[in-house]
Amino acid sequence: MEVILTGRKLCKWYQLGEVRVQALRDVDIEIFQGELVVVLGPSGSGKSTLLNMLGGMDKVSSGELFYRQQPLHGMNEKGLTRYRREAVGFIFQFYNLMPNLTAWENVHLSTEIAAKPLSAKEVLIDVGLGERLEHFPAQLSGGEQQRVAVARAVAKNPEFLLCDEPTGALDFETGIQVLKLLRKFSREHKRTVVLITHNAGIADMADRVFYMRDGRLDRTRNNENPLAPEEVSW
Amino acid sequence: MLWRKLMRDVLENKAAYLACLVVISIGLMVYTSLNLTADNLWQAKENFYREYGFPDGFATVQGISDAEIRRLTALPGVARMEGRIVQDVRVIFPGREESAFLRLVTVGLGQETQISKVKHLAGLPLDPHRPGVWVDPQFLAANELEIGGEIPVIIGGRKVFLEIRGQAQSPEYVYPMRTAQDLFPDPRSFGIAYLPLTVMRSLAGESVQFNQLIFQLEPAFSYQDVESLLEPRLERFGLVALYPAKDQVSNFILNQELSSTEATANVMPLLFLAVGAVILYILLKRIIEQQRGQIGTLRSFGYGSREIQAHYLSYPLIIGLAGGLLGSLSGLWLSFPMTAMYQAFFHLPELRGRVTFDYVLFALLLSVGFALLAGYFGSRQAMRLSPAEAMRPPAPLSGRHIQLERWNWFWHSLTVQGKMATRNLFRHRQRSLFTFVGIMFCFSMIAVTGYFNNIISVMIFEQMTKVQTHDIKINFAAPLAAESARRELLNLPGIKRVEVMLEAPATLKHGWRERDTVIIGLGRDAELFNLFDQDGRRVLPPEGGLILSSQLAEALEAKEGTIITLESALLRGDTVSLPVHSIIPQYMGINAYMDKDALNRVLRQGELATSALLVAEEEALPLITEKYREASQVATLENRQQLLDNFNEMMATYGFTVWILAVFAFITGFAVIYSFSIVALAERKRELASLRVLGMTTGEVSQILTFEQWLLALAAILAGIPFTMYLIGLMAQAMGSDLFTLPLIFEPNSFIIAFVGTVCFILLAQWTLLRQIRRFSLVEALKERD
Repeated sequence: MEVILTGRKLCKWYQLGEVRVQALRDVDIEIFQGELVVVLGPSGSGKSTLLNMLGGMDKVSSGELFYRQQPLHGMNEKGLTRYRREAVGFIFQFYNLMPNLTAWENVHLSTEIAAKPLSAKEVLIDVGLGERLEHFPAQLSGGEQQRVAVARAVAKNPEFLLCDEPTGALDFETGIQVLKLLRKFSREHKRTVVLITHNAGIADMADRVFYMRDGRLDRTRNNENPLAPEEVSW
Repeated sequence: MLWRKLMRDVLENKAAYLACLVVISIGLMVYTSLNLTADNLWQAKENFYREYGFPDGFATVQGISDAEIRRLTALPGVARMEGRIVQDVRVIFPGREESAFLRLVTVGLGQETQISKVKHLAGLPLDPHRPGVWVDPQFLAANELEIGGEIPVIIGGRKVFLEIRGQAQSPEYVYPMRTAQDLFPDPRSFGIAYLPLTVMRSLAGESVQFNQLIFQLEPAFSYQDVESLLEPRLERFGLVALYPAKDQVSNFILNQELSSTEATANVMPLLFLAVGAVILYILLKRIIEQQRGQIGTLRSFGYGSREIQAHYLSYPLIIGLAGGLLGSLSGLWLSFPMTAMYQAFFHLPELRGRVTFDYVLFALLLSVGFALLAGYFGSRQAMRLSPAEAMRPPAPLSGRHIQLERWNWFWHSLTVQGKMATRNLFRHRQRSLFTFVGIMFCFSMIAVTGYFNNIISVMIFEQMTKVQTHDIKINFAAPLAAESARRELLNLPGIKRVEVMLEAPATLKHGWRERDTVIIGLGRDAELFNLFDQDGRRVLPPEGGLILSSQLAEALEAKEGTIITLESALLRGDTVSLPVHSIIPQYMGINAYMDKDALNRVLRQGELATSALLVAEEEALPLITEKYREASQVATLENRQQLLDNFNEMMATYGFTVWILAVFAFITGFAVIYSFSIVALAERKRELASLRVLGMTTGEVSQILTFEQWLLALAAILAGIPFTMYLIGLMAQAMGSDLFTLPLIFEPNSFIIAFVGTVCFILLAQWTLLRQIRRFSLVEALKERD
């Protein structure tokens, strides 16, 4: 399988006044085309920082990070913007929809800047929101909002999806629905999905699981027989 | 899609953006309307002057013949010279008490003159053999006269009916004032009539000589070159005054009005635009802070920071565009009534409103420029955030102790809300500063308007009740023997007091500085014309010295004790040197004063008087007017009450403009407070909602916001008082002229008005705010993540 993301000795620290906070320490990582990766770890273990690095949202403090053969470390803001635009689809815990755009408009907003996007409407129908195209986020339930967010990320037709606690704000049933959508995207389009969570139950549906602790990649587990989303439980 | 987001964002905060829009619109309305009006005025003046000609120089003499004028024309530098007879005559309107005057000006019949022509507007041509005149249309309209009618006037003591043959206007009488001492033209009591020389001579006597010369310069010569040649040669013809075009009264005032309108047109809008830009800046900063998460999200799916900045710049851009369009188009519209208002003062035949889009375009560029500048600075900081940072909520502002807490008595007297508010002031230093400056600006604007409204009345009141306390002033046609004139007037029934005065036109020189003025000789027992020093004490002209008005002293750079050289046509070529005895503040006119007897001695022409001031019983006033109206020795008769009435009439129009400015200031103040409050409210929704949950009423909660504003307002009002004085000082300097000085008198009145106005717009803004606080749902506010 083709490697799409490679990180070597990734470090990230923040300077807070006189204190230097080390968020990532020497993380080595490889992520392959088409796999579903779950990053597990408690709060403050560095999962979100790792995700930000992978998504080109923030720059590494030291170490090397490649998307295919392109180095992301040392890439300027313009390059990172292009990378996010072309390769990455983000999904957040709190959906982060534009509150004053409708569901369709929110999805359309991201397809506007993509090179070969899918139809915003079709993707929304695909995630089961064909009836709610003209609704504003405030008129949608949490699960529906997250499905809009998934549609928004998927419609761009990115190389991979980065999901930050996508079920964190949802109840169990709705959470499962969202996971099914992510799984479907991964399998149907042969695209990579990286999902971070502190919910160990979700790990059972992953091809591989990364365990994070104190900013380090503690260990990795290969899942020979990942469960279907509807089979996982927490 | 971002465009839709933008439109909805703006609509959500429509009130704040609207406030900003209104302020920008006001600024551009002022800009467009004043500039257009000034342009119209300038265009009309240029056209009129170019087409009909305007002399380069003027001379007033006692009398000069045609042959002498031809000789003077040969002087180097003089291209052309013409003589005319100019004479003010009294108009006798049956049944009207107030006096009215007509200035008769001779014109060439076939308009063969090359220097200054008259524009014939309507009616028949002039006839060299009939006593007919062309009259300026304003005089006709004000006195309800028509072409074909007659005007009864007194010429050389004789009553003559002048036939109104037509209407005409001259570039020299665009702003017709009888004397430079008048404040404004009054078409009811003064008009211009143009007539052929033959008619003038048949009416005033064949021997009447030219008493005004107008001339044009050769291209390479300056007025000064010609003046030095002309002055000595004109002295033997009784030179009264010699002056260049720029000092001609009508032209002078027209130019002054033009430059002051242009100055206002360019400075005032900048103030409004600056306020608008500050509001936009604060609003944008706020919206970007609020949408920090959204910015992060947009960045995460690949929007570049430039695209996002462009998105946030489009907020101020549409406000700038909308404000610019609204302001400039309404300014275009407003320029029409404003031009029409000028038509009443300036008699320019082609003065009319025009539709041109130059200023509309300029105004648009100006407002868009200001808006984008505000937007750029408002959005700059947020754009520097990395996307990951933008996704995180901002670090909370740290609570800190402030300097003010050291003032124990003050700090301990505050409620908890008060303490919160006070700390907040220092937390948002920038916004506090803008609010402070905004309130100060508006307070001062209202105070300045109040000052202007006040000061003109003060000036007139001062002049009319303290300086000149007579009922009637009679100007003699020629100097008379003082004592006999006084005695004759005193013998009239009902007269309580008569004082004669000697007014001598003269040039005062100090070094290379010189000024044409009138020396007023006052009797030692003068009570009807009073002079006051700086401290309001009465002063009398001394035996051997001059009293100068402060304006005159400034122009001559004279101090007490400075020796002034005096030249006058009445001195027949001699000069006299006199020391300055004292300098007195004077609001109107630039006169010099002397003891009447001393002045008579200097002039060596006997005990003469040129005018008399009268106080009479009320019933006697009409009688006196009636008796002297037709006397040949009386040139003019001025009724004080009449002057006052005219003045009040003019004040009504003037006051209107002044109040419009005050209203603008009020709206601006409201917009500043309101938009800043909205920002503060949005920012602290959660904080305030928490307090509500704790059990505070909406009133108590809003106190936190309002206390902050009142504290700032108090400081701003206190600072606004000296700021107003400074502004008025600047304006007085810019607007003061030979005709009047704006006194720096600060009546508490204008400050009280400004204070009340300021309190009102703050209360109004707070009231709208309170309504918003009542409306917001506690649960929503607490849930909101921002």
